[in-house]
Amino acid sequence: MPSPTSRRTVLAALAGGAAALGLRAGEPRAAAPGPKLMRAIPSTGEEIPAIGMGSWITFNVGEDRKLRDQRTGVLREFFARGGAMVDSSPMYGSSEAVIGYALARIREKRALFSATKVWTLWQGTGRRQIADSRRLWGFERFDLIQVHNLLRWEGHLETLREEKAKGRIRYIGVTTSHGRRHDELEAIMTKEKLDFVQFTYNVVDREAERRLLPLAAERRLAVIVNRPFQQGDLIERVAGKKLPDWAGEIDCANWAQFLLKFIVAHPAVTCVIPATSRVDHMQENMGALYGRRPDAKLRQRMIRYVEDL
Amino acid sequence: MLPFGQDAFFALFEQYNRAIWPAQIGAYVLALAALTLAFRPRAGSGRVVAAILALAWAWNGAVYHLAFFATINFWADIFGALFIFEALLLLWTGVVRGKLAFRFRGDLASWIGLALAVFAMAVYPLIGWLLGHGWPRAPMFGVAPCPLTIFSMGLLLLAERRLPLHLLAIPVLWSLIGGTAAWFLGVTEDLALPVAGLGGLALALWQGRRALVPAGPG
Repeated sequence: MPSPTSRRTVLAALAGGAAALGLRAGEPRAAAPGPKLMRAIPSTGEEIPAIGMGSWITFNVGEDRKLRDQRTGVLREFFARGGAMVDSSPMYGSSEAVIGYALARIREKRALFSATKVWTLWQGTGRRQIADSRRLWGFERFDLIQVHNLLRWEGHLETLREEKAKGRIRYIGVTTSHGRRHDELEAIMTKEKLDFVQFTYNVVDREAERRLLPLAAERRLAVIVNRPFQQGDLIERVAGKKLPDWAGEIDCANWAQFLLKFIVAHPAVTCVIPATSRVDHMQENMGALYGRRPDAKLRQRMIRYVEDL
Repeated sequence: MLPFGQDAFFALFEQYNRAIWPAQIGAYVLALAALTLAFRPRAGSGRVVAAILALAWAWNGAVYHLAFFATINFWADIFGALFIFEALLLLWTGVVRGKLAFRFRGDLASWIGLALAVFAMAVYPLIGWLLGHGWPRAPMFGVAPCPLTIFSMGLLLLAERRLPLHLLAIPVLWSLIGGTAAWFLGVTEDLALPVAGLGGLALALWQGRRALVPAGPG
């Protein structure tokens, strides 16, 4: 998780640039430049906003009322700025319970695209886990359930297909992260009928460009990208560094938007899910949902710029 | 990788400490009784000290790990099982078989053992308080795994004869796990954990070797 100080420093350093672009933290989305970036889920054509929200660590705050209310504010800000996909997992401790708590207190949440996972060694336990997730989130039908980290994926995919056939899940998928098990994921993507895949991709971890992203496009799979900031390491790396002058050409007011726009500009990416525990960081992240995006040439320039820092 | 942040960690301790109050005082009373028995041993005192340690490990396994920590950490079920297993080992070795006797001997291991016990009971909470996470948001002595582990290592170094090494395995393992977590969470007082765990293990091994060496002529 990025340290509050480091990201605050970045914010402060970029305040001038943001002002130059006519953007301020907390500014309503109506002021955002250009239309919201929507991406289609290939299996149905349904469109979702390209910036979602992850919940690893950030929403795992247990029973503490004060922290739960603060996270409710983060989720409220996410919806207010045009977000839809909220991704969680039973592996994330109390995150699902906290999301359920927050959703129960947010009035405007029609856009919600609910995504969770099944993460257990046993297929039977997986069914109970899915039932628990429904109870914790507070509704009967999930938009998406994924097999987390490919754990016992054959059995769980069978369960998810049954649930989908009953209309209790709209989409199914599998996930991995940290660049692990790409060979196995590639085999599953080739062989199995899925709606979504989730893996790690960012400006420095680009292994997915070689096989997974082209394969997802070929197999018409929606792609969720996790660890866009390398769980804060990337933000730490760029903290205090100057955002390039040409970042204004793609409407980036801060490093978070720079890093997120690099990802969502890839044509095979459907949604990226940065996680944050702070409202001001959520505002920064959601800025990447609007404005111009880099083309292929500019994306190469972004890579070179970050690698040279 | 820890699945929770610092704010959730301290919030959990606040909730836990409030829920179990005044068990923290009970932990101090039992720990002082154990230390007193180590300084003034009498018949059966080894069994009593082992039972006190076993109770503390069982409490931390069942109450802290399984009932509270498991809400934010999927590893807590395994930690809880390990702590309860350590409690069973202490019960079997020290209470049922009566193989543990504790005595302050005035040697290096005894002094280090005493220092660790005092650190866990007095210095550890003081550091937490100075760093801004005092009561109720602090891991409290006896009812939180890290100070318990430091105290246990100290008390086990007061064990007479050759210390059964199987009793050290889980405390040493936890000293490494807890020490790593301390590094990520900024719980400075827990950085003493790996020092206590690995240092205590080295000292116990050294003592064991000495106990095996036959006495020289004369």
